[in-house]
Amino acid sequence: MNNILNRKEKILDVKNITKEFPGVKALSDFNFDLNKGEVHCLIGENGAGKSTFIKILSGAFKPTRGEIHINNEKHYYLTPHLARKIGIQTVYQEDVLVPQITAAENIFLGSEIDNQKFFINYKKIIEQAESLASQLGINIKVSEVYEKLSPPDQQFVKILKALAQKPQILILDEPTQAFNVKDIGLIIQMVKRISSEGVSVIYIAHNLDEIIQVADRVTVLRDGIKINTHDKTAENLSTSILAKEMVGRPVELFYKKKESSIGDFVFEVRGLKLKSFSKEINFKVREGEILGIAGLKGAGRSEIARAIFGALKKYRGKVFYKNKDITPSNPIKAVREGLALLTEDKKIDGLFMGMPVDQNVTIVGLDMLGKIFINFIKEKKLSIDYINKLNIKTPSLDKEVRFLSGGNQQKVVLAKWLFKGVNVLIVDEPTHGIDVNAKIEVYELFTQLAASGKSIIMISSEMPELISLSDRVIVIRNFEISKELIGDEITEENILAGFMGGM
Amino acid sequence: MSNNKNINQDSTEKISIGRRLSFLNSQITYLILVIIIVGIIATALNPNFLTLRNFFNIMQQVSVLGILTMCMSLLMISGGLDISIGNMAGLVAMIFAKMLIAGKGIPISVITVLAIALILGFINGLIIAKSKVTPLIITLGMNYVFLGVALIIGGGRPQTITGQFEFLGEAKIGPVPVSIIIYLLILLFAFFLRKNTKYGRRLNAIGGNTQAAFLSGINVDWHIISIYALSGLIVGLAGLVLVSRLGMVRADSGSDFALQALAAAIIGGITFEGGRGSLVGAFFGVLLLGILYNAMNIIGVNSYVQTIILGAIIVVATVVSNIGKMRR
Repeated sequence: MNNILNRKEKILDVKNITKEFPGVKALSDFNFDLNKGEVHCLIGENGAGKSTFIKILSGAFKPTRGEIHINNEKHYYLTPHLARKIGIQTVYQEDVLVPQITAAENIFLGSEIDNQKFFINYKKIIEQAESLASQLGINIKVSEVYEKLSPPDQQFVKILKALAQKPQILILDEPTQAFNVKDIGLIIQMVKRISSEGVSVIYIAHNLDEIIQVADRVTVLRDGIKINTHDKTAENLSTSILAKEMVGRPVELFYKKKESSIGDFVFEVRGLKLKSFSKEINFKVREGEILGIAGLKGAGRSEIARAIFGALKKYRGKVFYKNKDITPSNPIKAVREGLALLTEDKKIDGLFMGMPVDQNVTIVGLDMLGKIFINFIKEKKLSIDYINKLNIKTPSLDKEVRFLSGGNQQKVVLAKWLFKGVNVLIVDEPTHGIDVNAKIEVYELFTQLAASGKSIIMISSEMPELISLSDRVIVIRNFEISKELIGDEITEENILAGFMGGM
Repeated sequence: MSNNKNINQDSTEKISIGRRLSFLNSQITYLILVIIIVGIIATALNPNFLTLRNFFNIMQQVSVLGILTMCMSLLMISGGLDISIGNMAGLVAMIFAKMLIAGKGIPISVITVLAIALILGFINGLIIAKSKVTPLIITLGMNYVFLGVALIIGGGRPQTITGQFEFLGEAKIGPVPVSIIIYLLILLFAFFLRKNTKYGRRLNAIGGNTQAAFLSGINVDWHIISIYALSGLIVGLAGLVLVSRLGMVRADSGSDFALQALAAAIIGGITFEGGRGSLVGAFFGVLLLGILYNAMNIIGVNSYVQTIILGAIIVVATVVSNIGKMRR
């Protein structure tokens, strides 16, 4: 430990902050402090008040009550301008950078070096960006156009942009969302480095293993109330304790799947070739089986799903159901043959955000509601059935889907397919970005579906999910199957070994 | 989990009432208010404004625009757009006039030009669906193609058919002009097509999120091509009403309509994003434009000034409807 940390100089001290919205108390009497050079993690389920707190610190929200002490100066609220002046920089989940210009230009957009003259000195900007990146031990091509960078590199650029402002306090809002283990490791390394140079970091994430690795302290929020603050130097943190505090009741991190009987092989993919250089992919799925597909991002997992579904034309390969060739040339045929695809990014390609819940539920299975005209009474009745069956929380059938929480949105996507009736369900990162309780509900649904004879192909980055839910796991590496694991062989070590291509 | 209150049959009752009234959203309420205000001012300045005869007069004047606005609205809801509908209507009218003048007879001429209009719409849809180029560019180009063809067919001269084909434009059934009846029938048709049919629901989904529609197994290309073709057919009808009302046609007789239809749709709350907006709103958008024109004529506003005022109304209406969105 270096000197800075030992002195424990408090630079931020938030006292009794309360934020009320009409009808909701988003934060009540919240206390939070931050020492110089520490990483203080904030965890809690969706809606626990984390975002509200960040928005108060970045000046977007004015708290109802409470005090914010920064460098021993008392404030009742901050403005975005003041927050920036004090040196609070926030990196949000959403992309706020300009996709069409280079990473380096993005980093210095709006800062002094950019505003110097009428003309942009590209060379200088790129040099500065490179030196900033190398200080943090990051290797990215700063002269590349932002949108062409990989997701982790884009995240690095966002963080570098914040650091270019030389902040005292850096707030990272789920910086590793949708990253694989290796990339999460890179971000964690970077954050540690930033904090060791004296910048204080507030870090928000859902992944508890990641939290435990990166944190000096962890504060747990639930329903706007602080539950606890853990200090890693004083105690051993465990994911199960944190999870328990987050949801207020014991949560099985590893979901316990009920045993169910598995039938014969019904679904088969034969001779799928993703790249000219890669070997053919062949696999079969049984009736009532959950087949996990593991692999790092970019290894070809999502391509497999889309190719099976006929959404990607260029790939070769055949798809069989009950020995019948059903190879779909497009999603229209795939749907007709009883396949369903739950994509990774439901907002982009799963949901109709501007349409009401019931219309989203019935859109794939519209044929059940009449020949030409829609039977509205039937539509209402059936969609209510599915909303109840899947425990979708919505104030009304009429509510546009964009107003629902992530977990409920995912359940709407699932309802959309179940309503139509499917034989084979292909799901890509089914619990990405949804909270612990919603995850468990999704797991339960999958288990029920499998028990009712459906075959499920589940692509996932989450180890606990793969291990606890899958009857069998195939590991994809470099567009090929590198390993197949059954029963007790499905362990984190074996899956990781498959990623690396060893053994 | 168990104490969570899900939707039950009880709340469904409320929902269905809510949905029935949902077309009375804020944008339409504002529109009706503006229409009433314009009406009050116009009546105060000239009592002739508030008569049934003047109302029919207004509706008759906007019938062509109204029909074209339905085309534009259906396309916009499906995520599309067609800037060429005005000149397409003009071209159809031109072909019809030429056929009548050549002595082909009304029935055969009507059927021929409606078929041509359907094909023109189909071509637009085919290019847009298959090339995936933004519809604005494609239809902007087609707009000039249609104008050029109409100029060639008409030899650059107006074609007059006075007295030969008045039924659609000038005739009345009882006190109601036929053109109004056609307009209202098309409005009704479009409304039910969108709300009550699977086809309409799928168009809505395509407009809201094309990628999700594709992955939901909806035949996106077929829906896009067919809605452009259907729109073309309705444009053909508008062209017939147009030539019947004017008794003559020039190649550019329809030119102004496309942008006015776009304006009326936007005033009525239809958006470029697709998947949203109401056809009833678009109807009131057309009505507002018609009433404004009529009121300004009755009051005696200079026609150059009228153009400025109409332009300004379009800008104000769009900005106002966007303020509503920002608040949401």
